Amino acid sequence: MLRESMQAGGKRVDVAGVTQGFDESVDIPHAAALIEFAEAVVARDDARTAKARAALRERLGEAGMVDAAATVGGFHGFVRVADATGIPYTTAARGRDAPEIRSRAGVNEFYRVREDLRGNP
Amino acid sequence: MRSGLATSHDRAWAAIAAPGTWLTGERRVAVAAETRHARNCALCARLKAALSPNVAGEHDTPGRLGPAEVELVHRVVSDPGRLSEAWAQSVLARGLTEEEYIEIVGIIAMVMVMDTFSRALGVAERALPAPQPGAPTRYRPPGAKKQAAWLALVEPADVVPEDGPLYATPTASYIYRALSLVPQSMRDYWALGFEHYLPSELVYRFDQSIRALTRPQTEILAARVSALHQCAY
Repeated sequence: MLRESMQAGGKRVDVAGVTQGFDESVDIPHAAALIEFAEAVVARDDARTAKARAALRERLGEAGMVDAAATVGGFHGFVRVADATGIPYTTAARGRDAPEIRSRAGVNEFYRVREDLRGNP
Repeated sequence: MRSGLATSHDRAWAAIAAPGTWLTGERRVAVAAETRHARNCALCARLKAALSPNVAGEHDTPGRLGPAEVELVHRVVSDPGRLSEAWAQSVLARGLTEEEYIEIVGIIAMVMVMDTFSRALGVAERALPAPQPGAPTRYRPPGAKKQAAWLALVEPADVVPEDGPLYATPTASYIYRALSLVPQSMRDYWALGFEHYLPSELVYRFDQSIRALTRPQTEILAARVSALHQCAY
């Protein structure tokens, strides 16, 4: 979905950054601040989150910060629905996530994919 | 905060408190309480840190739910990226029906969305609602079948009018179909989920966003959160 959203704007992104981290060349405004916010919230580190939230508010305004929080919160639900029900990850993004994209993004190193590749349901 | 978010949270908490399809309001609120409690479970912390997600022990629980429900809630909250079909079947074998399993997952997901949002904003979590009386409807969609996922779901072609509104399009993605074994849980969850992300009609319109973030900004957050959870979907 990240790759598709970038392509819609005539831009490219190296999806390896999803797992390995994005460098400063990623062409998304305030990407580093957004990533820091997401990581702080996932880590449940309230002090780090407060600092990241303030940085986002400064860069994106109150509405942008709130929508970032809404997105991060939303994906704490989506991942649990997907992972608890075992829906086929090969159909993600309506099948746009081709095997080479999953490989490049590092998704093949995730537990479920590794277990599937080993034949363990 | 935009009004749609506040409204969607009010609606979601009210739905959690009400009798569901397979669970009473009391049991649904107990699932919400267990979801919050699981975040501080010592066994879950050991599981999360272990190389293999197979660690013996007892979950720390308030004791309002049975062992199968507790295992389901704690593992989905604490280590969702390392679940497996064999684990899901083991939970069912301990005395939970697949309909109850799906309804519980829907509640966990809603609580995680709302509580994480609160934490991200630095505001207090909302107090749990009082359970509402009444009996579950016990409706299982006749077209539900186990095929594409670990548990049964309703494919768009198998929807019947009694299911109520499920799919706006026959090409609905599997993340959307995942909870369809319990249609009301699916509707409740997505009323919240779409408000947090994007309305369904815009999900694949990559050149548009109605939020205060650009679409790539939304997607870089989504991708990073998913990766940190080891979510392959």
